[in-house]
Amino acid sequence: MPLRLVDRTKPLPWGGFFVATISLAAALAVCALLLTWQGKPGLHGVWLLVDGGFLHGYALEDAVRKAIPIFLCSLGVALCFRMKLWNIGAEGQFALGAVGATAVALRFGHWPAWAVLPCMCLAGAAAGALWALGPALLKRRLGVNEIITTLMANYIGVLVLQYLVYGAWKDPVSFGFPMTELFSDAAQVGLLPGSRIHYGLLYCVAAGLGFWWWISRTRLGFELVVSGENSRAARFAHMPYGMLICLAMGGCGALAGVAGFLEASASVHRLQPSIMVGYGFTAVVVAWLGRLRVPAIAAFSFLLAGFRVGVENLQIELQAPAAMAGVLEGTILMAVLSGQLLNHRRLVWISRRTTP
Amino acid sequence: MTPDMVDMLAMLTPLLAAAIQSGAPLLFATVGEIITERSGTLNLGVEGMMLCGALAAFVVSLGTGSPWLGALAGCAAGALLAVLHGLATLTCGGNQVVSGLALTILGVGLADTLGAGHIGQVAPGFDPVAIPVLSSIPVLGPALFTQDALVYLSFGTPLAVWVLLFRTRWGLHLQAAGENPAAARAAGVSPLRWRWIGILAGGALCGLGGAYLSLSATHLWTTNLTAGRGWIAVALVIFCAWRPQRAMLGAYLFGGVMALQLRLQAMGAALPSSLLLMMPYAMTVLALVAFSRAKSRAAGRNLPPAALGVPLAGPQGGEGR
Amino acid sequence: MRAFVVALALALLACLPMQAAAEDMKVGFIYVSPVGDAGWSWAHDQGRQAVDAMDGVSTSYVESVPEGPDAERVIAGLARKGHSLIFTTSFGYMDPTLKVAGQFPDVTFMHCSGFKTGPNMGNYFGRMYQARYLTGLVAGKMTKGNIIGYVAAFPIPEVIRGINAFTLGVREVNPKAEVRVVWTKTWYDPALEKDAAKSLLDVGADVIAQHQDSPGPQEAAMEKGVYSIGYNSDMSSFAPKAHLTAAVWNWPVFYTEMVKQVQNKTWKPEALWWGMDTGLVDIAPMGPMVPQDVKDMVEAKKKAIIDKSFTVFAGPVKDQKGEERIKAGAMPEDKELLGMTWFVEGVVGSTE
Repeated sequence: MPLRLVDRTKPLPWGGFFVATISLAAALAVCALLLTWQGKPGLHGVWLLVDGGFLHGYALEDAVRKAIPIFLCSLGVALCFRMKLWNIGAEGQFALGAVGATAVALRFGHWPAWAVLPCMCLAGAAAGALWALGPALLKRRLGVNEIITTLMANYIGVLVLQYLVYGAWKDPVSFGFPMTELFSDAAQVGLLPGSRIHYGLLYCVAAGLGFWWWISRTRLGFELVVSGENSRAARFAHMPYGMLICLAMGGCGALAGVAGFLEASASVHRLQPSIMVGYGFTAVVVAWLGRLRVPAIAAFSFLLAGFRVGVENLQIELQAPAAMAGVLEGTILMAVLSGQLLNHRRLVWISRRTTP
Repeated sequence: MTPDMVDMLAMLTPLLAAAIQSGAPLLFATVGEIITERSGTLNLGVEGMMLCGALAAFVVSLGTGSPWLGALAGCAAGALLAVLHGLATLTCGGNQVVSGLALTILGVGLADTLGAGHIGQVAPGFDPVAIPVLSSIPVLGPALFTQDALVYLSFGTPLAVWVLLFRTRWGLHLQAAGENPAAARAAGVSPLRWRWIGILAGGALCGLGGAYLSLSATHLWTTNLTAGRGWIAVALVIFCAWRPQRAMLGAYLFGGVMALQLRLQAMGAALPSSLLLMMPYAMTVLALVAFSRAKSRAAGRNLPPAALGVPLAGPQGGEGR
Repeated sequence: MRAFVVALALALLACLPMQAAAEDMKVGFIYVSPVGDAGWSWAHDQGRQAVDAMDGVSTSYVESVPEGPDAERVIAGLARKGHSLIFTTSFGYMDPTLKVAGQFPDVTFMHCSGFKTGPNMGNYFGRMYQARYLTGLVAGKMTKGNIIGYVAAFPIPEVIRGINAFTLGVREVNPKAEVRVVWTKTWYDPALEKDAAKSLLDVGADVIAQHQDSPGPQEAAMEKGVYSIGYNSDMSSFAPKAHLTAAVWNWPVFYTEMVKQVQNKTWKPEALWWGMDTGLVDIAPMGPMVPQDVKDMVEAKKKAIIDKSFTVFAGPVKDQKGEERIKAGAMPEDKELLGMTWFVEGVVGSTE
């Protein structure tokens, strides 16, 4: 074949941006085709999707609310990815975070807000971090692969949550339905004045800034990045590799735990099994898309959240199946992934005479 | 023997049978993923490939009346989805973890969207066939040899793959692509070709695992029929240390513990069901830890293929991002 | 310029009422699972389709909506899009519905299976336990080994109430029989549900009942050559030789009536718990293997439930420990039934 892929000497300027845009367009086109195939107006469908996710005040608010837990989990997962740790356990850490925060809320709900909320946040972070430390220690001490332990810990974490909510923590006035009692007003994270977005947004800003500062301005953060890129070099330089593993996993657990705390306290105001909707898995995707750049992680969290909100509009207006969201998300990912090719390679026509 | 022991023995046969049945889809998918990973590619899209395989198998069996054609279609659907993974990771050099996740999201979405019209139908599937003589062995006979055709196939698959991987030239080439692509290329073996083969074969077996669910385990199609079994298979690959013979142990252990917790409930054990349901997952981790402790004695034997997840460099493959 | 604006305004004003008159009443539904689950949401969607077929009414639905913050957003979205009547069809939508109902006072909300109401929000459910009781009678008559298996999803009151009513029916005709319960902790895993049924068959159950959405347990019963009892809809096509009967939902009667009430402005925010007399809950036609005398007995009991001469859960009802939970001669209160978390005598299993 005379067509050859040749490495670019340097990446396309603004390449990432172009690739993302083109991939997005490709994914939307696939969606339009699938809709048309089902006998629905494809292009109008794409418009409904974008309109319902991004083009109204309420849509933006909804997208931001949904993006908050995704952002926090993704930040944590990104930390692990930088250490080449395949932590897919943010889901379970999220569950344990919600459990930890709820334990405080149920016991100390009568405290004033300034006392109980920080305690809930800390308890959520601690519970999530501890849940992540199990796999971290198993990896460090016994070399047990973290993919399998974090995956299993997800299932167990969700069952722990269920065990408590179906058992000891069940609300006596809920007629036996699996949910805890409503958190006291003090134990609920409130809304930003004049909006439907809760204060969780500020937690995100703080977490994002802290993350950036830690990675780029501290020695430990530097060591983490370096040892992720080359663990042998890191060991030669006497970097605390084992501790860094625990730190990255624990940090991820803490961030996912805070996300769990916010979902329970700010969005649902109680603990119930249905707060688990797979943010932990979405986080893996977002963390990769955003790499270690905080603004990019925020942008992709928002984008995916917006599309999930927009798909609901598509459903209301066109009765498209809910599974459409998966097709859209999967296609976007595949397209972005494959699009990387254009960023770093170019197609050249090599005439037969010059090829040896 | 006390009456209690007779009771326990009587429960053993159905428990074994159930372990084999709920282990079978896991076994197909696990062995498939072992092939893929042995060739150097990690594919986390097992769940998506299984679900698409289940749908294709169901639709074709419904249309043609032949479950065997259905099972073939399941393999084809799994392999077809795996082609996407190959294009994204081998051709375009994309990250394998993300491509696999995308494949799961996409596969589940596609199957649920396309399969909506088939819910509530019953397709011709595989029914149990007792093998004469063998099925009359006490305790083990009824459990092992009154199963359906796909279960018998699931007995043979790990063995066949073991032979192919470790006793044939092809198997060595495939492993070379996963262990040391540069050396393979130097020896005149194309790692790119063998990674493609690994991805496609793995996808086909995952599709077959899905087909088991819609043709053997039940004869139904519903949304999300696989219910997370693909992820269990991904975990089992690591659990069985990339060895197909040990995949049987992993799949039957997991299936067996799941079957056991149901039977404990049916026998009236007054334990909270959440705790019982944790058993399969906790057991998997515990067994893995036990293996890890044993590992120090057999150093290096439980390690993944050296170039697993490492993209091919050079003119034929992409560069890792 | 001014003339143009006035003309435009007039034109718009002229259009508005016409558009409103021509526009259908919009009714929205949200479901917790895909409508293709062949179970709970599917049964509700049959009701939606009946509403959609009414004159001057159009419907939309959103499926697979998780019962947390997402539900609140979707319900508000439906209200914002001009739906004047919105049905939220799962327990976990209760608080989100209440919250959104406060924000949209002109929209009518109806929540299924909960217990809260508001000025523009009612709740509704069906007395499925009455149908369960009748299927229990059939099971009690048809079992030979006196062990009946029950595959159930989650230990929530709705499910527990169904198991209890079923067991009361079984023990009414067969005091020696017991009902064994296995929890699957899932609504949608046919293979696991089938294996759960098999585990019950292994301990000697010869009738399998289910509170699951998939027909997996039916298949298990048919393969073993024993009997089964379905749920949600007539499941006889999945297991023609095993299927004795099923406890079924018939949502069209309810949803069309509610839409009419809202259209005629006779709707009131109340808690509706419709029974067998309305046709919302029923049993599927009994299979040919059920003897005529059993069919007659069940039909007679059904009539008695409809004319209220018989009440399921009328005291005395004892729990698993033999303690009397509903006193002899007492009628069960709806509140008590709605919050049921204990098993009646004759059930083997744990409610945790």
